[in-house]
Amino acid sequence: MLQIIHLKNDLRQILRDPIMAILMVVPLLLIIAFKLMVLYLVPFIQALIEFDILPYLYYVFVFVVIMCASMLGIVTGFMMIDDRDGKISELMSVTPLGRNGYLINRLLFSSVLSVFYSILGYYVLNVVELPFVTILFVSLLSSNYSIIIGLLIFTFADDKVKGLAFAKAINSLTLFAFTDLLALKWLTVLSWFFPPYWITLVVQTPHTLLVYGLALLVNFGWLFLLIRHYRKK
Amino acid sequence: MRLLHAVWTDMRFQWKHGFYLVYVLVTIIYLIILSFLPNDILSVGLPLVVFSDPSVLGLFFVGGIIMLEKMQGVLSVLVVSPLRTIEYILSKVVSLAFVSVLAAFAITGFSSYGSVSWLLLFLSTVLTSGIFTLCGIMITAGCNTVNQYIIKTVPYMLLFVLPCFSLTGFPYSDLFTVIPSVAALRLMLGAYMGIPLYEAISLVIYLTGMNYLFMRWAIRVFENKIIYQN
Repeated sequence: MLQIIHLKNDLRQILRDPIMAILMVVPLLLIIAFKLMVLYLVPFIQALIEFDILPYLYYVFVFVVIMCASMLGIVTGFMMIDDRDGKISELMSVTPLGRNGYLINRLLFSSVLSVFYSILGYYVLNVVELPFVTILFVSLLSSNYSIIIGLLIFTFADDKVKGLAFAKAINSLTLFAFTDLLALKWLTVLSWFFPPYWITLVVQTPHTLLVYGLALLVNFGWLFLLIRHYRKK
Repeated sequence: MRLLHAVWTDMRFQWKHGFYLVYVLVTIIYLIILSFLPNDILSVGLPLVVFSDPSVLGLFFVGGIIMLEKMQGVLSVLVVSPLRTIEYILSKVVSLAFVSVLAAFAITGFSSYGSVSWLLLFLSTVLTSGIFTLCGIMITAGCNTVNQYIIKTVPYMLLFVLPCFSLTGFPYSDLFTVIPSVAALRLMLGAYMGIPLYEAISLVIYLTGMNYLFMRWAIRVFENKIIYQN
């Protein structure tokens, strides 16, 4: 009950602050921008070069899923840094909600939105055909990735500036989703340890259960390590 | 001397906050990607990468830096210190331009691109970085949170980035060169692809003038909104 009341307050706070409200709908703009790109830019490029890019269009979906999750994660991370600077998180830790409740509350918001935008992105972009279970699984991975990003920024950045530096570095993680295209063995092996790679692999091989298992292992491994770090702090 | 100390302090701050480390990582990633591009695409891709990332990093970071200094009370101390506003702002511009130049040179130097005019690359990176950092200072004056800052940079980015497409060429597209970002991109492309001397000199003079104007404007906004909090 407490969680719900707090979530309601969070939602009210976000809707009251136009900046936050805008940030929450930015992924929607991203999806629209990429849909327009698929509709108009892809045929244009296709006409320019002889190389057939259509079989690679699913990377657009993967990119949008990862970008939406990282955007929402970064927003949440900065929101929590601002809360920490304003001593709000400290205040929350002595309320019945507690330190963990506060964390769940904040991260739940970005994770739910990530699920929503991943599913929306799939249907709007319409660049790959996947079983419904896979769509749900990809949205779960996306939601987990947004939590990972939020936690990475919040737990490792002591202040806003470090947060910005982290956000910049975290964006580089997106590369791991596209290492197959680069065909560098060492980079692919390195990618195994990063969540974005598994989003691509699940989309590429939606019928291989082992990939699902490994994706869960890597994603929840990161989550477990980050939560442990947060608790120790 | 005061300015040099301020620049040195800012550089140490940036080092401590991992800017240099982040840009080593970013440079490596760009180099990996660029190494896969064929030469004809690399000749356009490389200047675009240098222009879109290292040159504009000031806009991304300066907001956080100033907000943190505001929160830590550094700006309150600044008012009663001998450091003038222009020196404070200049030190931010110079120190962030230093990171930009290092990253731009590293990305260009380690990529397999042929001949580059290093002087023009240096000038275009410094002048572009200056404009974007000064914009960041003006934007941050009205922000209280990083999220606010990020969202407020979007219209500026659109204003600066969209006209850059005029370089693809259409009737009267040269008129867009009055927009500083277009002039800066033209100069940067010139550093890689060659540019007539008169055009390079006029672009450098124009961008220096724009940097000066943005500096005066940034000082006014900074003093009004941050120091005197009008």
